[in-house]
Amino acid sequence: MSGPLLQVDSLRVTYGAPGRRVVEAVRGVSFEVLRGRCLGVVGESGSGKSTLARAVLGLEERVDGRIEFDGREVLRMGRAEIRAFRRRAQMVFQDPMGSLNPRLKAGAALAEVRRVHGLAKTRREAAAQAADWLATVGLDAAYANRFPHELSGGQRQRVNLARALCVGAEFLIADEPVSALDVSVQAQILNLLKSLQETRGITWLLIGHDLAVMRQMADEVLVMKEGRIVERGPVDEVLARPAHSYTKELLSAAPSVRQALDRRAAERAV
Amino acid sequence: MAGEVDLCLRAGRTTALVGESGCGKSITAAALGGLLPRGMSRDRGEIRWAGGGERGPGKGLAYVFQDPGECLDPVFTIGSQIREALPKEDRGRARERMTDLLRTVGFDEPERVLASYPHQLSGGMQQRAMLAMALAGRPRVLVADEPTTALDVTVQAKILRLLADLQRKENLAVLLITHNLAVVAEIADEIHVMYAGRIVESGPVEMLRAPRHPYVQGLLKALPRLDGAERLEGIEGSVPPLGRRPPGCRFHPRCARSRAVCAEREPPWTACGPGHRVACWACGDGGWA
Ligand SMILES: Nc1ncnc2c1ncn2[C@@H]1O[C@H](COP(=O)(O)OP(=O)(O)OP(=O)(O)O)[C@@H](O)[C@H]1O
Ligand SMILES: [Mg+2]
Repeated sequence: MSGPLLQVDSLRVTYGAPGRRVVEAVRGVSFEVLRGRCLGVVGESGSGKSTLARAVLGLEERVDGRIEFDGREVLRMGRAEIRAFRRRAQMVFQDPMGSLNPRLKAGAALAEVRRVHGLAKTRREAAAQAADWLATVGLDAAYANRFPHELSGGQRQRVNLARALCVGAEFLIADEPVSALDVSVQAQILNLLKSLQETRGITWLLIGHDLAVMRQMADEVLVMKEGRIVERGPVDEVLARPAHSYTKELLSAAPSVRQALDRRAAERAV
Repeated sequence: MAGEVDLCLRAGRTTALVGESGCGKSITAAALGGLLPRGMSRDRGEIRWAGGGERGPGKGLAYVFQDPGECLDPVFTIGSQIREALPKEDRGRARERMTDLLRTVGFDEPERVLASYPHQLSGGMQQRAMLAMALAGRPRVLVADEPTTALDVTVQAKILRLLADLQRKENLAVLLITHNLAVVAEIADEIHVMYAGRIVESGPVEMLRAPRHPYVQGLLKALPRLDGAERLEGIEGSVPPLGRRPPGCRFHPRCARSRAVCAEREPPWTACGPGHRVACWACGDGGWA
């Protein structure tokens, strides 16, 4: 099936209690994510990226506009429908430790969510399947017996992904999924995200602020500033011909190691 | 720990400690006793200048942590927390100092931020608020543990320039703990790369043009680049956890160049340029790299 899996129209999200100043975090944002594609969202700190992500998953309260997932309106879903939606659409966070139960071994964590969603009848069945799901994310079956604190950051992030995939997630929102990881491991995880897109047809909304990462991962990119989308397009095009001043600034502010060293060497010379 | 990590922070200089993030904080915490410049000691969890107490304005040493949760108190506004951190002589014009500080760390609406509680700010905004708080005390040594991971690069660049400025103007010594080599290239004077709790290569920042240690070379290759290849080259495997560090060179299980000796004995330091040294059997005398 092709066509958009997610369609967002004129989305607005505000924060604020009665009597307090209202903050408009997202101010009328529209976009769609095609099935099996990766849409990147970049933007300055406080521009509303995380708010947007939470709103799409139905986790924000003061939301206005339309969010359609697979043709159904998220803001109008009933209980049962929301339950299925929460299984199909999930979030992967920056800090993989915070989202894992510290008392559950990796295998048990997967078995648990599968039982909760009625996807495995018995414990034994669930445990057997857990090993397969760990393999999907590149972890040896032996890791099923490790507690979160016995795993490295990258391995925890893999368990997190396995936990989402094993209940049938099709759409994943990753909010800065690698920025808490060692650089040597970031590349492995990014490659894994990419291959899940290619082999399992996972649809991604990837949030970050690194255009180089977006270039590796995303098909299209949105640039946000102050709650609005200021630029959008295929990644390579946006990188080659940035139109908005903020995008230009973003590009010139992200030098490579070599560029940074060259610039400083030049400064020292004058 | 103290024997393994040997660092010297100088006024007006930025020293970068590049290390894996998995145990970044625990290492920092464990290592600080050994990392701190001579003349400082730990006293009931607080760092003090030995002999002479507090000199000049400010507290001497300030931290900026990776996780804003560790610094910011959820029940107080940012304003009241920064005010707490101001030295006495700044209290009289607190409001002005606070808005100045917030502007320096890149806020356009300092008034709103002052009145906000931490949860009302985005991750990056919390980090900047924290930096403002650290700077409020006019420190002489600033330890910045991954100060910019959650910031977008334009703000990051501003903050890095700000740090560089402060470091020059106020003769601040900065210890930057990070895994972001681009950030290091941008502002550090010296760099020490740490792997699994040990420094494996040290030198002036220019060493990043041609690092010698296979881990450091791997790190550089693993960085996503705007003009890079389709697929990233990560380093296979992962950093060993604290209790399971391999004997010999700690990187050898992940190293394409390792030979028998690497698994047996710890590599000694080899000098490879002015101020530049590496701990690697392959790079040493009689090595094979
Ligand atoms: N719970 C809240 N109450 C009030 N305001 C909030 C709340 N959460 C976020 N905000 C505000 O909404 C705006 C957008 O925040 P958001 O967390 O979405 O930014 P972001 O783009 O994810 O930033 P970052 O890159 O720093 O993570 C900010 O101005 C922030 O102060
Ligand atoms: Mg965010």
